[in-house]
Amino acid sequence: MILELKERIIDVLNLEELTPEDIDAEAPLFGEGLGLDSIDALELIVLMEKYYGIRLATASEAKPIFRNLATMAAYIAEHRTK
Amino acid sequence: MKRQWSGKTYGNGWMHLWLIRLLRVLDVRVLYAFTFVFVLPVVLLVNPSRTYIYRFMRERMKYGRCKSLWKTYVNHCMFAQLVIDRFAMYAGKEFDVKVVGMEHVERLIALPGSFMMMSSHVGNYELAGYTFKSVGKRMNVLLFSGEKASVMENRQRLFEDNNIGMVPVMDDMSHLFEINRILSDGEMLGVLADRINGSTKSLRKRLLGGDVLLPQGPFSIAVMKSVPVIAVDVIKTAARQYTVFITPLEYDAEAPRAKQVESLSQAYIDNMERTVRRYPTQWYNYFEYWV
Repeated sequence: MILELKERIIDVLNLEELTPEDIDAEAPLFGEGLGLDSIDALELIVLMEKYYGIRLATASEAKPIFRNLATMAAYIAEHRTK
Repeated sequence: MKRQWSGKTYGNGWMHLWLIRLLRVLDVRVLYAFTFVFVLPVVLLVNPSRTYIYRFMRERMKYGRCKSLWKTYVNHCMFAQLVIDRFAMYAGKEFDVKVVGMEHVERLIALPGSFMMMSSHVGNYELAGYTFKSVGKRMNVLLFSGEKASVMENRQRLFEDNNIGMVPVMDDMSHLFEINRILSDGEMLGVLADRINGSTKSLRKRLLGGDVLLPQGPFSIAVMKSVPVIAVDVIKTAARQYTVFITPLEYDAEAPRAKQVESLSQAYIDNMERTVRRYPTQWYNYFEYWV
């Protein structure tokens, strides 16, 4: 799941300069780490809905899920409907 | 050199309240005349906006010195009218509004999905929200939450009467979830796509012979949700009349993602250039817009 998620994130965020091995699954997604911003956050929200059938409704719900790639993958594995 | 404008309405809540009370009894033209003669000369003396607009007229519109000076004054007169008209609407006044291209909105409302409306700081985009009742699909407007409380309260009151919701941009990114919901649930989303706010990701474009930076966000959102987009320009065409110009912004939804963002933002800037060339005195980006 983590590898699949890395590949999807590289694709939708257009991070062509990165390979899945370059991304640390435990590093923060925003700020330091992968350094994503608000537009990328919306891409992740859309990605969760489009590929895994998970619609996140509030920022407070999403905050622990979007902590890093590992927390995202764990949430998807448990709640995916697609 | 200023690269951003605060976008806040001048004055405090008490002044706004009195302006609304005054406009309940006065014709807007009386206030226009007072402003042109007594207020604008002072504003032009103390406010750096004159420099930005004069340079815009000289360097971008290629006008001569005298014409640029005159157009700079007219631009400030038009902006004063925009502010007065906004408060006149808060006071219950109505304007004659014509629409060119209404069929594009009607076609999109008849379709099941969502769509986006992109405006700019050319003309008086807010007036459309105060005038038209949203029928068929709920309209939502993305707003930066830095405006004065009195303006925000009146905006909310008039928007709610017209079935229009406000989506304020928040530091906790809660607006992103609302944007996703709006564009998943078949509603409309209106955004201003000519100024960078929040995310620093930008797209470099050519406008009137120079390079400008557009925010990447609005275009990326449209592409990632695969929604149709129209440009909405609300232009003052007479003392008590506005004309709304609606133009579809085409992009190839089958192309690679980056190409879609590129072609949509190009369609937007092409439409903006046509509008600015036609109505240069309604250009209201009072900061150094070109990079």
